[in-house]
Amino acid sequence: MWDNPSLRCLLAIAFLHLLGLIYSQETGFPEAPENLKCITHDLNRMICSWDATSSANLGLTYKICYTNSEPFSPVCIETEGKRADIPVTIGSTNIQITTLNASGTPLATETFVLPEENVSLIPLTPQILNLSADFSTYTLYLKWNDSGSVFQYELDASWQIQILHKETLETVALINYDSKLTGKDSILSWDWTSDIPLECTSYYVKIRCYINEPYFTGRKEWSEWSPIRTVPEKDTKPNSPMVFPQDKVVLVGSNVTFCCLYNEGESIKFMKYGSKSYPLLRLNKWSSAIKVQNVSASISSGTNVWCLLEPDGLEGTVLFVGYAPDTPQNLSCETHTFINITCSWKPGRATELYTQRQTKYILFERISKENVTCEVDELKPEHHCNFSVHANQKIYNFTLGASNPLGQAESSLLIDVTQRVHLETPDKFTVSTNSSTNAHLSWYIPGNFIQIRLLCQIEINNSNSEQQLQSVSMAGAENSNYRAWVDALHPYATYTFRVRCSASEHFWRWSEWSEGKKLTTLEAPPARGPDIWRERSPVGETLTVFWKPLLLSEANGIILSHEVSCYSREIMLKAHEVPVPLNSTEIKLGGNDCLISVVAKNRAGSSPPSRITSMDLPSDNVKTELAIATGNGIYISWPSDPNVTCGYTLKCCISSGSEPCKVDWEMFPSNATDAVIKSALFQPGVRYNFSLYGCKHSGYQLLQNITGYMKELPPKVAPNFTVEETSSDSILVKWEDIPVEDCQGFLKGYILYFAKGEKSSSKTSFTDEENKTEKNITDLTKKSLRILDLQGKTSYRLGLRAYTVGGIGPLKDLYVVTKENSVGLIIAILIPVAVAVVLGVVTSILCYQKREWIKETFYPDIPNPENSKALQFQKNICEGNTALKTLEMNPCTPNCVEVVETQSTVLKIEDTEIISPVADSELPEDGSDPETGSHVVVSYCPPIIEEEISSPPIDEPVGSSQVIYIDIQSMYQPQVNPEEEPEINFVTTAGYKPQMQLPINAMKMESHSPTEEDLDKTVGYRPQANTNVWKLDSPDSPISIQSNNENGSFGSPCSINSRQFLIPPKDYEDSPTHNNTGWSFTNFFQNKPND
Amino acid sequence: MLYVSGEISGDSWGIFAFLCAALWNLPTIPALNSTDEVGAGQSIQKTYDLTRYLEHQLRTLAGTYLNYLGPPFNEPDFNPPRMTRAEMVPSATVDFELWRNLNDNARLAANYRAYTHLLCYLRSMDGQVAKAELRKNLGHFCTSLQGLVVSIASVMSSLGYPLPSPLGSANPTWAQGPGATSTHNDFLKKMDDFWLLKELQTWLWRSAKDFNRLKKKVPPAALMLRLEARGF
Repeated sequence: MWDNPSLRCLLAIAFLHLLGLIYSQETGFPEAPENLKCITHDLNRMICSWDATSSANLGLTYKICYTNSEPFSPVCIETEGKRADIPVTIGSTNIQITTLNASGTPLATETFVLPEENVSLIPLTPQILNLSADFSTYTLYLKWNDSGSVFQYELDASWQIQILHKETLETVALINYDSKLTGKDSILSWDWTSDIPLECTSYYVKIRCYINEPYFTGRKEWSEWSPIRTVPEKDTKPNSPMVFPQDKVVLVGSNVTFCCLYNEGESIKFMKYGSKSYPLLRLNKWSSAIKVQNVSASISSGTNVWCLLEPDGLEGTVLFVGYAPDTPQNLSCETHTFINITCSWKPGRATELYTQRQTKYILFERISKENVTCEVDELKPEHHCNFSVHANQKIYNFTLGASNPLGQAESSLLIDVTQRVHLETPDKFTVSTNSSTNAHLSWYIPGNFIQIRLLCQIEINNSNSEQQLQSVSMAGAENSNYRAWVDALHPYATYTFRVRCSASEHFWRWSEWSEGKKLTTLEAPPARGPDIWRERSPVGETLTVFWKPLLLSEANGIILSHEVSCYSREIMLKAHEVPVPLNSTEIKLGGNDCLISVVAKNRAGSSPPSRITSMDLPSDNVKTELAIATGNGIYISWPSDPNVTCGYTLKCCISSGSEPCKVDWEMFPSNATDAVIKSALFQPGVRYNFSLYGCKHSGYQLLQNITGYMKELPPKVAPNFTVEETSSDSILVKWEDIPVEDCQGFLKGYILYFAKGEKSSSKTSFTDEENKTEKNITDLTKKSLRILDLQGKTSYRLGLRAYTVGGIGPLKDLYVVTKENSVGLIIAILIPVAVAVVLGVVTSILCYQKREWIKETFYPDIPNPENSKALQFQKNICEGNTALKTLEMNPCTPNCVEVVETQSTVLKIEDTEIISPVADSELPEDGSDPETGSHVVVSYCPPIIEEEISSPPIDEPVGSSQVIYIDIQSMYQPQVNPEEEPEINFVTTAGYKPQMQLPINAMKMESHSPTEEDLDKTVGYRPQANTNVWKLDSPDSPISIQSNNENGSFGSPCSINSRQFLIPPKDYEDSPTHNNTGWSFTNFFQNKPND
Repeated sequence: MLYVSGEISGDSWGIFAFLCAALWNLPTIPALNSTDEVGAGQSIQKTYDLTRYLEHQLRTLAGTYLNYLGPPFNEPDFNPPRMTRAEMVPSATVDFELWRNLNDNARLAANYRAYTHLLCYLRSMDGQVAKAELRKNLGHFCTSLQGLVVSIASVMSSLGYPLPSPLGSANPTWAQGPGATSTHNDFLKKMDDFWLLKELQTWLWRSAKDFNRLKKKVPPAALMLRLEARGF
């Protein structure tokens, strides 16, 4: 109806017209209807209701007259209630409601104009037809009727579904669901999955509806909620305590909620997942839950979830956490026997699920539509499954499905079974032979291979570990033995055979090798005659025939003996058999030459004969050539001889150890001119001799001898050498040859060393000696050498070494002293003697002639001191000493004075006093009289120092005398001129000296206080810093210096620059007299004037 | 009689020897010949020794198996209440005085019945174990326990007691066999396994005491052989 456009237009105009006409006629009667409300459920009819005061007038009825629009006549109905069902009209509706009393008299009339906007569209309350639950999947299924038949046309409908749980009816979910009403009743369904097991608590579900009519201008409202439905239907306590979910399998990483149901009166103490306790969530009065997030793989028996109930109860469940099956990997199918196809695969990632929850595999073949359930062992890394081969089917399209409670996966493979043949290992493998070169093989392969050909590979290993593969193709058969034979085997050789097979046309895989079988072929006659040589005895009566044993590959069996025959002009003169292991025999020629024939024999027969003539051709002038060592062999060359027609033979005799040498030979063709001879018996440094024979028409001729080394080494010993002759300037040296066995190579020369050297001196090698002279002697024929230009009566060291290409040998040395040159010595003695005599004579003559003057000068009767040269000399010394800047010298004063005349003040030196360190050390510590002590008079000219007193003080008493202090430089000290460097001398000769020793030991005092004696006992080194042993008036202090004047430091060493005393001089201040001091300070002498 | 001198301790060959001995004895000893006390003494000694060996073997097995079941079963202080559903396993928690007042025949018969059923459960347990090594150990223990059942039968025969007849439906739940537990969930099955091991331990302990007491009653005729059997 609403679809008609013209009708809609008409309705719209009428609606606008009516808008202005809405009014209500107030009559003023209390029975007058008011507050008219109209709702519609189906847009067809509407239910209008109104308010009216009933007062005491019971039995009131209402007459409702409604008109949609002019010119329709109104339709009237009567009703007892205050509601009426009237049709929905387009636009507005005029409704006149008249209140009638029981007698039908109108009491009041009210007229309403009802526009469409004032009509509400409220759908009918929906009804839930069915609410069911799937406990295993926690899913609720809801069904209801959409009541689409209420509307005559299609409409959009919305549904709102509310799910509540717990006792407090908490909303779990509020879901909107849209549908389309088709004008017919339809059953709508909807499902919802809970995250909590449905057993844990009851769920309440209700639903309401909303119709979206776009052309309806009135109010559109939700319907009433449907009556609540509950699942489980009875919200009562469970029969027995339980934990849910029961035995569930979930994926690793899932979030799982567990609930524990318990009886009334019980309570949960705790609930654990595995060994961990989780906080409880109360669901209702008989159920609590825990939520476990991100579960990890369970143990093989499943993870236990359990709740401990109070007062007494334990409930639990097991959760299996794992993975969905992985896609089967490396799926491969092949047949071993054409009876079954065996598919194998790797399961991939472990599912961590076991027993009944482990992965199940089903092998499905699409062409035949057959499937096979595979029994697999979870513990094995590779799984297998067998599928029967169908007759007349070559192509197989396999799909392997893997499934477990958490999911499934599959792999597919398309194969042609004839191209996937992997034969079983050949069985019952046997090998046999009845010849020396062939072997028969037989094996069994289970299976039906009639439709294919087989390719088999036979592996032949001989005793030398040489491997050979032979392939053989053969027709397939059913459960049959297969045969093959191999040829070209060596006689009397041991072989190991194995066999494996595969399909010939479409190779897929080889079978495993069969077990190995050994076989030794039969013997055959030796393949060739042995290599032979002969040697004639020196006399020529006998001939020794040598042969080499045949190689195993040539012998073709066990050589039992060799037959040696002697033919002369095709007539056998002699023959005899030589048993193994002899490899030579002697034949008596009796003066005749013959042709020697040697045949090797084994059980199977004889070898072809090897022949050699016994005739030797004479050879002249045979030279010995030297071969070249190559390091691992000996290089031999020889000139080509055109007369040699049947090759060369190189013979040698190699001895190893103490055994006699073993004749060996090697043959070369006629055109050969050189060869490298190698042998395991060759040793470096050993000389080998070879003889080269040429095979000529009439016999063998010795062409040359060759000697050589495999590797040359330095000589093992030094040559023996002696000194034959010695003169004052030359030495003749002779040496001997080194024995050949010690040479270890061809001698190239000698090296002679010589140098000056004493036998007693430490021996150094000549190579280290710098002044050595060496001579290289390359002429090996020379056996002596004269060394010239040597010094007489000098010791020389001589050394001799031999050398080869391999190096220089050891050294032998000896010492020799050249003879003395007697003429030179005589001249050297006579000339000085003659000169001395002449000088003596001349001196004597002069002295005699001038004897008076000498006496006057040197030995006057009354000596004059002023003319004394000796004193003059000492004066100079004293003058030199005055140059000392740090020490002012006093005039030299003799220590002893002899008074010759009372008026004369001339002093005479009586003695000089020398105190050597040795003498000083012998002094007694109490300082006994030095005059009776150890005064040493030096006979050779000691540096006596004297200063002459130029003007002695007149006012001095006669008894007082000035003393000259003399110091003699120690014999053990270097002589330094005191005039030149007195300071340096002082410093350099000072060194460490016991400072206290000098003044104490050297003092000669008549009055020696006990204190001083005590002090003497402490002779030794006294550190200068130790001021306790010093007196207060130590020269260190300036006061001390002033009071003692500049010369107050007698006997004490002092610093030249500072002039401070190193040792306090207290002992000397009290001394009435001072004698000369000290050994320690050479050229350091002081005198102190008496007070 | 000759088979007991082997090295039995810790060795399945020893168990096998016991089994053979028991089987050998079974037909040779007249079931009602109560006067054959020499044979009875030997049988009791062997059964006692086997019981002690099984006690030792069970200690190792239980440790491994409870670890396999996981917490809380492997927790040392786990002591769940005995639920009615767990009565599938014959309980050894009989009052001591009550047990002591039973005669030898009744005690032996109770032992025989208990081990027969425990063996049935043990075998049903075997098939559900995921670990191959544990399955092997269980199988080994089953064989040993089978030997004990046969040994008890041998003792009863030698003492002239009839073998107990299977219990009827009116008897305890555990007499109905392991099929009655098929509706259990996995946790309850684990609980059954736990109780089975616990009951086995208690039964073996009690049996050892029973056989020790019993062997004191018979003349020590088989002393030499008993000493040989001490090789356990």
